[in-house]
Amino acid sequence: MITGTAITKTFRQRGSVLGKRDVPALRGVDFAIERGGAVSFIGESGCGKTTLGRIIAGLETYDSGEIVIDGTPMSSLSHHRRQPYFRRIQLIHQDPYSALNPTRTIHQTLEAPLRLRARQTGRPRSWVDGRAEELLSLVGIDPGYVLPRYPHQLSGGMRQRVVIARALTMDPEMLVADEAVSMIDVSLRLGILGLLRDLRERLHVSVLFITHDIATARYIGDEGEVYVIYRGQVIERGPTETIIADPVHPYTQSLLSAIPVLHGLERPGSEQVVPTEALDEGQADAGCLFARRCPFSTDRCENERPVLSGDGTVQLHACFHPRRRSVIPQGVHT
Amino acid sequence: MTVTVLPPGAGEVAAGTTRAALRRNFWRGVWRVLCRKPSRMAGVVIVVGFAVMGVVGPLLYPANLPRDDNALYAAPSLQHPFGTDFEGTDVLALVVTGARYVLLTGLATAVITVALGTAIGLFAGFRRGGWDTALMRLTDLNLAIPGLPLLLVLSTVWKFTSPLSMGLVLGLLGWGGVARAVRSQTLSLRERGFIEAARGLGLPTTHIIGRELLPSMAPYIAMNMLIAVTGAVYAQVGLFFLGVLPFDANNWGVMLNLAVFSGGALTTPAALPYLLAPLIAILLLTLGIVLIVDAMDEIFNPRLREE
Amino acid sequence: MSRDSAAAPGVRIRGLTVVYKTPAGELPAVSGVDLTLAPGTITGVVGESGSGKSTLALSLLNAVQPPGRISAGSVEIDGLGDVLALGGEELRRARGRKVGYVFQAAQNSLNPLKTIGKQLLDLGRSHDVDDLRELVRDAKGLLARMGLDGARVLDSHQHELSGGMRQRVGIMLALVLNAQVVVLDEPTTALDMITQATILRIIREVHEERALTTLVITHDVGAVAEVADSLAVMYGGRVVEHGPIAEVLGGPRHPYTQGLIRAIPRLSGDISLARALPGRPPTLGTLPVAGCVFRERCDRRMEICDTVEPEPVTHDGRTVSCHATGRPSPAVKRREYA
Repeated sequence: MITGTAITKTFRQRGSVLGKRDVPALRGVDFAIERGGAVSFIGESGCGKTTLGRIIAGLETYDSGEIVIDGTPMSSLSHHRRQPYFRRIQLIHQDPYSALNPTRTIHQTLEAPLRLRARQTGRPRSWVDGRAEELLSLVGIDPGYVLPRYPHQLSGGMRQRVVIARALTMDPEMLVADEAVSMIDVSLRLGILGLLRDLRERLHVSVLFITHDIATARYIGDEGEVYVIYRGQVIERGPTETIIADPVHPYTQSLLSAIPVLHGLERPGSEQVVPTEALDEGQADAGCLFARRCPFSTDRCENERPVLSGDGTVQLHACFHPRRRSVIPQGVHT
Repeated sequence: MTVTVLPPGAGEVAAGTTRAALRRNFWRGVWRVLCRKPSRMAGVVIVVGFAVMGVVGPLLYPANLPRDDNALYAAPSLQHPFGTDFEGTDVLALVVTGARYVLLTGLATAVITVALGTAIGLFAGFRRGGWDTALMRLTDLNLAIPGLPLLLVLSTVWKFTSPLSMGLVLGLLGWGGVARAVRSQTLSLRERGFIEAARGLGLPTTHIIGRELLPSMAPYIAMNMLIAVTGAVYAQVGLFFLGVLPFDANNWGVMLNLAVFSGGALTTPAALPYLLAPLIAILLLTLGIVLIVDAMDEIFNPRLREE
Repeated sequence: MSRDSAAAPGVRIRGLTVVYKTPAGELPAVSGVDLTLAPGTITGVVGESGSGKSTLALSLLNAVQPPGRISAGSVEIDGLGDVLALGGEELRRARGRKVGYVFQAAQNSLNPLKTIGKQLLDLGRSHDVDDLRELVRDAKGLLARMGLDGARVLDSHQHELSGGMRQRVGIMLALVLNAQVVVLDEPTTALDMITQATILRIIREVHEERALTTLVITHDVGAVAEVADSLAVMYGGRVVEHGPIAEVLGGPRHPYTQGLIRAIPRLSGDISLARALPGRPPTLGTLPVAGCVFRERCDRRMEICDTVEPEPVTHDGRTVSCHATGRPSPAVKRREYA
């Protein structure tokens, strides 16, 4: 189990004539991911979801807050001692084209981490090749076909499966999948999402799924939880199906309203929410971060910042005026 | 969405055979790349020809080349394809026996330039921070050293009779450019997904540098190496031509010097072949290398290596 | 934005074949495509990587670059004739004046060293626009129409604009010379959901206001479902299905379209019914020479599919190329959806 408390991170932007400008990427985020669970971070680009994912994978530092992995607070460990913990959390890159070394065959790509793993766990070197085949079979590709090949000889979907197999070489507890299907052909996306779901069920790997497309979050399995992140703050959080069917925060509602409707299969929701203006990350807000774009904002929203709270339910939100609205498309039976 | 589990053995790949097969495929790919353009084959033939000349050449002739006092500056003939020199020695024999010094120097220079430049560039680019700053200042220093004047000074105390010592000096003077370029390549490569993935997996730094970074830069390094050879050939021939180095060594530069300053090749047509022979040799060698450089990108990129 | 809205032009693509030169010979990226863009409609072309959709889009401007070559067919645009027969100066003038092209997400099609205004003036000069002031006025009007501050945008460099703003600049540059046929290549790729919705709404509105004939090329069915009137589905260089969008999405007939729609992650619908298509999209090199290009991934494959390529058959205003889809009665002649 991995938890984070009040994680903050500020990027210092350089280069402007006016000097440095601090851009808060994360403004005190809490999260908890159970073993075998599925958590999705949803938000627009620049909202901090990728930064948070990289922090959790140990690839980025954070300014304050605490991450606890299996009961061990990371702040109590030296940089060196932390590494074995973060190795249990493996990042799946968005781009399966740059995530594999073009000059190395898939066999070579899997062999190196497996050798390391064999050494760590005291297994013989002969274990390595068998394990490589096992992992490739597990992610649904034919080892005999893939192993001797170079990445450019594989399709995007196959490459992403190889990337997942490589992450599994370290027997991770959690996979952080950052937009893992956005660069994959549409007809193959569900295959990758299904694979992540399958790995949860079979290996009890937790999946942290980072995406701007909330619809894909439905497909990584049951009992998933969604965190909607806006400008570095979690503004709504709850079980995936609840957040999709009954969102109460206007930002979540505008995200869901923006999802295209497949006319002929679906009809649009009746109360769609459209932000009143475009996102301006530079603006300083004393109140709710979404107030300026929110069609329902009041004076209170402009001056006071709502915190994430739940009124005693599993669905948490950071909004003074939560209200259910029918925003998502409804299926049409033809 | 089911995961296909294949029967065991469906994809059996024995590690040993894979590696051998890879190597075989690599050389087959290299052959394919070279065959793609006749110019590349010509380049290979030229360079291999010079290499053979450097290795075997001196064995074909006696240690002291025969002189023929009756045929000073003889015109080209069947017996002397490029005529003879001021002592009546066959010019072709001089070119052939002189190749070893020239090529050895070139090779030594290239190895030192590339090894030093790559190591320093890789280390600086990968470590960044303080090491980077320090190593790059060192590189700037190296780039700022005026090579020729330094060599002129050095030659007064050091005789450079051995091609390797010549190569060492040229190599130590020339690694700066390679280091700079390799560093910038490293900086851009280390941001790539596969390098980050290797770090995330906890693979040792030696693996990341040696197995992930270096192969991606191989075409670049190989190209630099070949170009360093031509650079070294020009540099040493130039030094010998200027006459700042003693004439003990048999070298194309010595031939040029004698042809111009003693034989008056610029005014006497009879000495012209004596001047042209080493020039043609240098030109051919450069041409051969340039033609091969063209193939480097395709040789080291597995995608381009296939048809 | 009132202008003499002459009737929108129709576009008829007939037997278009585009081949790419590879070491293995010339391979067709687009093969015998017939496609009619009805005047004043938005047609969406959906396809995965290697389907030939971008090549098709480039053919509309006769702008296929070597090693590609248009080897057969015609592209007739009303008021312009066969684009493929045009050459040199005529062709250059047609691009921009008649056919506007919005490049993929407009991310890389702007010059990073020049302000948008300078690029606009370059465009005007290269098309011999007499009144550059009016051109700038038009551009500002268009940008304002799309919710941007025209003067500020024209003074900006590419890097000062967000992805959504760049995309709008791309649309402005494609429309400012009053092109009436507009091709948008992946207009929403790399954009966020909310920005994507905004861009799609703008495309629809501008299309209607200016009486355009629009072609939207994308890999994302959702992106066209929102705007298009008709949908053409491409696979392996062929248009395998074409028809009114709601009908194609609601009752797909080609097995590929059916599989593709089943494979889209959606907010509504039963998750357990959704599944990925087996196999993988073909590349130039793996396309079969004879027979149906989709048969390797098809769940309704028959013997005939291995040898005979299915002809496009039109029925009820919908065109489908598939042996397994019920053939209409022989009385119905082969006609194309228009």
